[in-house]
Amino acid sequence: MNRARTTVLTVAGTLLLLAAMEGVGRLGVLGESWPPLTQVVAALDDPITRDLLGRALAATATAAGTGFVAGTLVALVVAVVGALLPPLQPGLDRLAAVVNAVPLIALGPLLITTVGREGTPAVIAALAAGFAVFVAATSGLGAAGAAHRDVFRALGSSRRATLLRLQLPAAVPLLIDGLALAAPAAVLGAVVGEWFGAPRGLGVLLVSSMQNFQTDLMWAAALSAAVISLTAYAALAGLRVAAARRFV
Amino acid sequence: MAATGISESPAEATPRTTPAALELRGATKEFRLRRSRTVTALASVDLAVGNGEFVALLGPSGCGKSTVLRMLAGLDTPTRGEVLVNGGAPAELVRGHRLGIAFQEHALLPWATAYDNVALPFRVAGRPVDADRVNALLSLVGLEGFTDARPRQLSGGMRQRVAIARALVLQPEVLLLDEPFGALDAVTRRRMNFELARIWADQQITTLLVTHDVDEAVLLADRVVVLTGRPGTVRHVEDITLPRPRDKALTRDAEFHDIVDRLTALLDEGAE
Ligand SMILES: Nc1ncnc2c1ncn2[C@@H]1O[C@H](COP(=O)(O)OP(=O)(O)OP(=O)(O)O)[C@@H](O)[C@H]1O
Ligand SMILES: [Mg+2]
Repeated sequence: MNRARTTVLTVAGTLLLLAAMEGVGRLGVLGESWPPLTQVVAALDDPITRDLLGRALAATATAAGTGFVAGTLVALVVAVVGALLPPLQPGLDRLAAVVNAVPLIALGPLLITTVGREGTPAVIAALAAGFAVFVAATSGLGAAGAAHRDVFRALGSSRRATLLRLQLPAAVPLLIDGLALAAPAAVLGAVVGEWFGAPRGLGVLLVSSMQNFQTDLMWAAALSAAVISLTAYAALAGLRVAAARRFV
Repeated sequence: MAATGISESPAEATPRTTPAALELRGATKEFRLRRSRTVTALASVDLAVGNGEFVALLGPSGCGKSTVLRMLAGLDTPTRGEVLVNGGAPAELVRGHRLGIAFQEHALLPWATAYDNVALPFRVAGRPVDADRVNALLSLVGLEGFTDARPRQLSGGMRQRVAIARALVLQPEVLLLDEPFGALDAVTRRRMNFELARIWADQQITTLLVTHDVDEAVLLADRVVVLTGRPGTVRHVEDITLPRPRDKALTRDAEFHDIVDRLTALLDEGAE
């Protein structure tokens, strides 16, 4: 029942938002740069536009996905190393904080010279996603209760066995929360990364359509980025519901 | 101890002839609360449990019984004095996976089934899980139909029984039980008492049992140690020389009631 209500509210909210977009566009209150939604969708009737957008979408999704997976893996490895070697923990935390404190956009020039224009979107996506996952994983690995840690100590558990059988399972709910935050961060990271001269992608399309006053195309690109982001988030939120049933 | 198996009074013969398996020597435990404020949980407690001996620990709530077990399991260290297991540090027994412990708050893994919780000590020790042993223990504690149940699908008493099975699964050399039957109804509790007595008699596991149930203590133990209220000190040690095996009939015995009444009175005063 509660579930049904949430679904109804979600759908209603989305429809309201789309209607508002349409309305604002129709009335023209914000000028020509805000077209009605129907006009944006109609632009997709043109096969050339559709093709363009499709390729951009694929490129961004690939960069974001690659970055998400790579960033998550690196973050997990670093978090696990920190859990196995406690003396390293404060250093790793600080390193992660520093990496995160540097604005991703400031890394652009550095990345262009090291990984090239094509690789930059995925790397920025990885950095953005990796930080979210690292923070979630570190707090998740410390989330096991004192009583459970005592059980493992009294059983003579090695650090490895404790990690595997206590800390990792106990970290799952927080970790999935972290992944749900990391996925949209990866999409944003990929789009930002594409601004540094990537050959294609939604970020490229956004910039070029903006400069050429292709308002419909610009909105189509922006909405596509939002759709990838929301889809990734929704998938992970579903995973969280499943995990909550299994791990709590 | 081998000679004590048929003796009518194992408690007298056991403790002094062999080196103590578990020993507290003048153990004091203070806990720091806030800055410069400390609470003394235990004050110079002397306690020795012989090899294969069953000792029950009675005392008012908050007198430090759980603290005694935690120190013997190497989870806490005494502020002053010594805590020895087989004459050395408790860590050694723990490292060999030869300690079985059931905590007051069961502490089962919420994501694991009853079976996996009982199998955990095998996995932690890096040994192959002996499925027959796990299942046998689960049916011993009356949970054969619940092997696939998660802790939150079990009642409080059922969780405690899973925790007892987990403590026993590796056939430990030393068994520390912290009010393991606290959440059970009287009938199940007695049944579990007799099962524990049988396991102990079979395997001669050195056992220290914390309980609030004086009947249970007298029924099971070779010796009952009564602690005073906080700070906990040893108030009285009672050798229980009642013949073994002890059964239901014993609970109607006059001598049994005598001992229980005497110990209950001591507890009453100790709580003041
Ligand atoms: N980690 C801790 N920090 C501070 N004080 C503690 C800590 N652990 C125990 N204490 C204190 O030590 C005293 C003894 O605690 P303990 O748990 O050993 O009592 P207990 O005899 O097991 O009581 P109960 O029968 O209620 O389980 C209590 O007063 C408690 O407040
Ligand atoms: Mg206690």
